[in-house]
Amino acid sequence: MSEPESIVFVVDDDPSVGRAIKRLIGSVGLHVELFGSAQEFLPSKVTNVPSCLILDIRLPGISGLDFQRQLAESNVEIPIVFITAHGDIPMTVRAMKAGAVEFLTKPFRDQDLLDAVHLALERDRRRRQQEAELAVLRERFESLSPREREVVAMVVSGMLNKQIAAQIGTAENTVKVHRSRAMEKMQANSLADLVKMIERLQVPSAHAS
Amino acid sequence: MVSVSAALTSSYDYGEVARSVLTAIAASYAGLDLAGRVTVARGRVRLAWLGGGAIAMGIGIWAMHFQGMLALYLPVSVEYHWPTVLVSLLVAVLASAVGLYVASSRKMGWVEALIGSAVMSAGIAGMHYIGMAAMRLPAIAQYSPLLVMCSILLAIFFSVVALLLAFDLREETRWTVPRRLGSATVMGLAVSAMHYTGMAAVRFMPSSAPDLSQAVSISPLGRNAIVIVTLIVLLAAVVTSSVDRRTGADIELLNQDLERRVAERTRQLIAINEELRKEIADRQRAEDALQEAQAGLARVTRVLSMGELVTSIAHEVNQPLTAIVTNGNFALRQLDAGTPNLKQLREAIAEIVEDAARASSVISRIRALLKKGTPDRVELDVNEVIKETADLVRKEATRNRVTVQLELAADLPSIVGDRVQLQQVLLNLMMNGIDAMRALTDQPHELVIKSTRSADGVEIQVQDSGMGLDPKQTERIFEPFFTTKHTGIGLGLSISRSIIESHGGRLRTVPSSRGAVFEFILPTDGAGAS
Repeated sequence: MSEPESIVFVVDDDPSVGRAIKRLIGSVGLHVELFGSAQEFLPSKVTNVPSCLILDIRLPGISGLDFQRQLAESNVEIPIVFITAHGDIPMTVRAMKAGAVEFLTKPFRDQDLLDAVHLALERDRRRRQQEAELAVLRERFESLSPREREVVAMVVSGMLNKQIAAQIGTAENTVKVHRSRAMEKMQANSLADLVKMIERLQVPSAHAS
Repeated sequence: MVSVSAALTSSYDYGEVARSVLTAIAASYAGLDLAGRVTVARGRVRLAWLGGGAIAMGIGIWAMHFQGMLALYLPVSVEYHWPTVLVSLLVAVLASAVGLYVASSRKMGWVEALIGSAVMSAGIAGMHYIGMAAMRLPAIAQYSPLLVMCSILLAIFFSVVALLLAFDLREETRWTVPRRLGSATVMGLAVSAMHYTGMAAVRFMPSSAPDLSQAVSISPLGRNAIVIVTLIVLLAAVVTSSVDRRTGADIELLNQDLERRVAERTRQLIAINEELRKEIADRQRAEDALQEAQAGLARVTRVLSMGELVTSIAHEVNQPLTAIVTNGNFALRQLDAGTPNLKQLREAIAEIVEDAARASSVISRIRALLKKGTPDRVELDVNEVIKETADLVRKEATRNRVTVQLELAADLPSIVGDRVQLQQVLLNLMMNGIDAMRALTDQPHELVIKSTRSADGVEIQVQDSGMGLDPKQTERIFEPFFTTKHTGIGLGLSISRSIIESHGGRLRTVPSSRGAVFEFILPTDGAGAS
């Protein structure tokens, strides 16, 4: 079986509800995987395709909200759509603050669930894309020599070539060479472009002071 | 009419006549007296009184008559044919017997009176004329039909008067003795009148000497003997009667006293009984009210424990509803798409039906527990009741990370009890168990419900794996309003205990090394009476 485009994971202890959700989401062409408890759903199952998790709050063993925290702690980033028979406001606030996509009360409207699932998948897709871009940038940044990184850090902090040359004790022309080679390696078209890239990489900028 | 000169001249000894009248009065008195005794007596005693009375009275009447005959002096010697005399005595006794019998009968109508007096008068007239026929003297007796008729009429009259007087006087009333004396005088005079009329009807014409075989002459001594014997007999009869009456009266008096006392006691007893009945009714009413109050209270606590369960229950109803709604939406989408996947559609609809049944069964379970009703005793499978209750709390248990474990014996006898009430007890014990384990984090949370067969019924145990009970509080926990929980009114166990007791069982705690154990036995004979 070929890898599906996306996966929707469902964790609900009620098999009947689980099957119904699977059927509904399956009908819009999405791949669904069903689990009866949080323990059965192993984070390792999260593959590199966009995915989301439909999570019941009341579960045997560990509750949905606790499971959300556990996933976050183990750096598993998956958008979560909560479903519960009766959510109260504190519960909802906690879930949303922890990054839940949606908090639906059972029985929910089918469109609400589908919308939430699409939103969650879209969010995951975007996140994955961003992460991929970031990985490329990081790779490029890794390819810079220590001196080039030093120069880039100073450039993005707004220092002039002359100032940089004075700082590192070299000729202005040498700085220019480092700078243009770094721009080339990072595939930055302009200084502004480079600044944005470095910001995304969250490299600490080197201020003169 | 025969020539008077030819007849023998007769004269009367008036002293003798007077004595005969007195004898008649005495005999009458005795007769009236005896009629009363005969009336009062029953069975063989009555027969004895009737026989004795008839003999005494008969002798009296006969003696009067014989005396009357002896009072007649004829110029010839008169002897008496004694067998005939004996017959006349017998007739007198019979006539007396008839008289007494009629006078002592329960009621006397005209028919009885007439027949009685006819027989009596026939007897008396018979005695009189048979007595006359016993005379043996050298003369022929000629009778005047008119006077004979008169005498018979008088006999009838006498009989009627005698019967009526006797009937009237037989009951003991005031002035009985004077009235009886007066009546006896009237009767005695009537008897005498009849006798002397009969005597007057005869003329003795001289003739040849009579046949004197078996004839005796009565000497003056004999006359006196007859009078004395007669009086003795009559006296004996009256005295006996009087003693009997006195005894009867004493007994009567004692009887009356006894009856009065019995009546008094009966009245008292009836009053006491009435009071007792009222008290019992009051108590019954109070008991009914108490029972009603208890049932109400039981329901309130049931509702309260259901309240604790409400989140779980809502969840339990919501789950199938969610599945139904989701499946329904799926089905609509499939249909709207135009090319439905029939296999999936079928599955979805089948599950809708299933889940709807599931939701409705949850609701009916809850409704059964919440309904207000009088206890209903039916034959129950204890295991089934345990399973149903465990189903109710399972969600709540899961939420609190408690596993519910049932260890049910297979061969349990059925018991008689109220399903809802027993579910309430189990629910209460299970919820208590879950509550007891809620706060603990390190131990496994286990709720074990066991059913086993015991000697006299079914034993049920509910065990948790919590902290267990404070040994100092093992009895206090059954007291009303005693609670160790923050939210609780402390009625659950006290009501559970009263429910089990009303089923003839007992709810208690059992010492255990692990957690708290509650145990109750439900007897198979359904001893619970209320």
